[in-house]
Amino acid sequence: MDALITTRDLCKSFDRLEVLRAISLDIQPGERVALMGPSGAGKTTLLKIIAGLELPGRGSLVNRAQRSAFVFQESRLIPWRSVRENLLFVNGQGDYREVLRCVEMEEFENYLPAALSGGMRQRVNLARALITHPDLLILDEAFRSIDLNVKLRLMKAIDRRWQSDKFTLLCVTHDPREALFLADRIILLSARPASILLTIGVDMEKSRDISSFEFLCREASLIHQLADL
Amino acid sequence: MKNFWRTLAGIALLILLWQIAAVRLNKGILVPAPSDTLRLMARNFTSLEMLLAAWQTAWKVFVALALAILLGLPLGLLLGLSDGAYHLLRPLIMTVQAVPVISWLSLVIFTWGVGWRGPVFISFLSLFPLAVLTTVAGVHDLDKGLLEMARLYRVPAGKVLREIHLGSLLPFIAAILDVSVGQAWKVVLVAEYLCGGDGLGEAILTARMNVDVPAVWALTLGAVLLGLLSEALIKSIARRFQAAWTRS
Repeated sequence: MDALITTRDLCKSFDRLEVLRAISLDIQPGERVALMGPSGAGKTTLLKIIAGLELPGRGSLVNRAQRSAFVFQESRLIPWRSVRENLLFVNGQGDYREVLRCVEMEEFENYLPAALSGGMRQRVNLARALITHPDLLILDEAFRSIDLNVKLRLMKAIDRRWQSDKFTLLCVTHDPREALFLADRIILLSARPASILLTIGVDMEKSRDISSFEFLCREASLIHQLADL
Repeated sequence: MKNFWRTLAGIALLILLWQIAAVRLNKGILVPAPSDTLRLMARNFTSLEMLLAAWQTAWKVFVALALAILLGLPLGLLLGLSDGAYHLLRPLIMTVQAVPVISWLSLVIFTWGVGWRGPVFISFLSLFPLAVLTTVAGVHDLDKGLLEMARLYRVPAGKVLREIHLGSLLPFIAAILDVSVGQAWKVVLVAEYLCGGDGLGEAILTARMNVDVPAVWALTLGAVLLGLLSEALIKSIARRFQAAWTRS
């Protein structure tokens, strides 16, 4: 099967600042991949290049996704439009009630973004991505400003969505638990200029229990690996 | 409510200072008393002749304002979106903005003579650069993240223009209207005064030529009140439009 995303020796610089160095990746359709690495390494730049929001410098990129969705670090909601209108802005035919239920925001469809907390706005940001039924879902530290309980429920909601839709998931996170819960493969990037240091396969069941002994052991091991880098 | 009383006190203070000036300077020529002026203004604005003059000035203000907005907004949008067009046309816009009204006057008198076209054209030229440059500022102020989001989700250009660009520009359009209405009244009055023809400006010119100072004051005060009234009216319409657009 052809990979959904292929990069070969992908490089990117902003003026003289080298951000990405020789990134080569193959991500299969339906695969779930987490990118981890130090802050400022260039992870968001890599995601943006893959999503077509940024041009690559040198190297090649092939993205076969028909519909990409991107959960940005900032919510990027239209301030003068309600939650419902923000969702319908990207997909006028979409079932906004269903995605709002998925992110536990069904009571807030008529609210303006300014009336919501940062975490709630981020959930709408995720709902906006889901309403497009993407074949590639990109999460850029999507759960950063969300409290732990909601975050766990949202991760489970994404997991359920993935079980039914089998989209390709590419996420950037600093949270080992999030990476282990959502991904089948974790790619560790170096500090800027980012290059791939290590790829870790997550050979656990697809639906994971974060309180299981196996999960906790994997989490401890991942933290150990991150600390060694 | 507190601010209402303060405003009222401010107006009372203004009338008091005016009365003092009238008593001090008065020979009835330079500064007529407020009571005389207000009485004359009330009489003026109940006479058919003056109501007609006020209407003639008001429609010129409206046409100049409408032209400035209808032409300035699209051009401002274009210049805001295209750096090349902005740098190409900015010198022209800045020049139009810098040329004094008096210079346009001689041009329009030579071109059209006495009539409505001169005041409308001059007012339009004085409002147009403001409309263009404020719109450009609005476009530059646009949240680029929203545009990036729309691009990612492949939202059609028309929808992006309506929902993001227009939404972001609405406060700037309100600002253009805010500043322009008062300015339009002033420029139309000056142009009518200097070009002749009809309207309140021409009525002020006639009063001056007759050395009828109380009439000059009464007409001026009337024009100020009409300017404030039209400003309040346009602001209210703009607010309703903004609310209707937000609900749509």
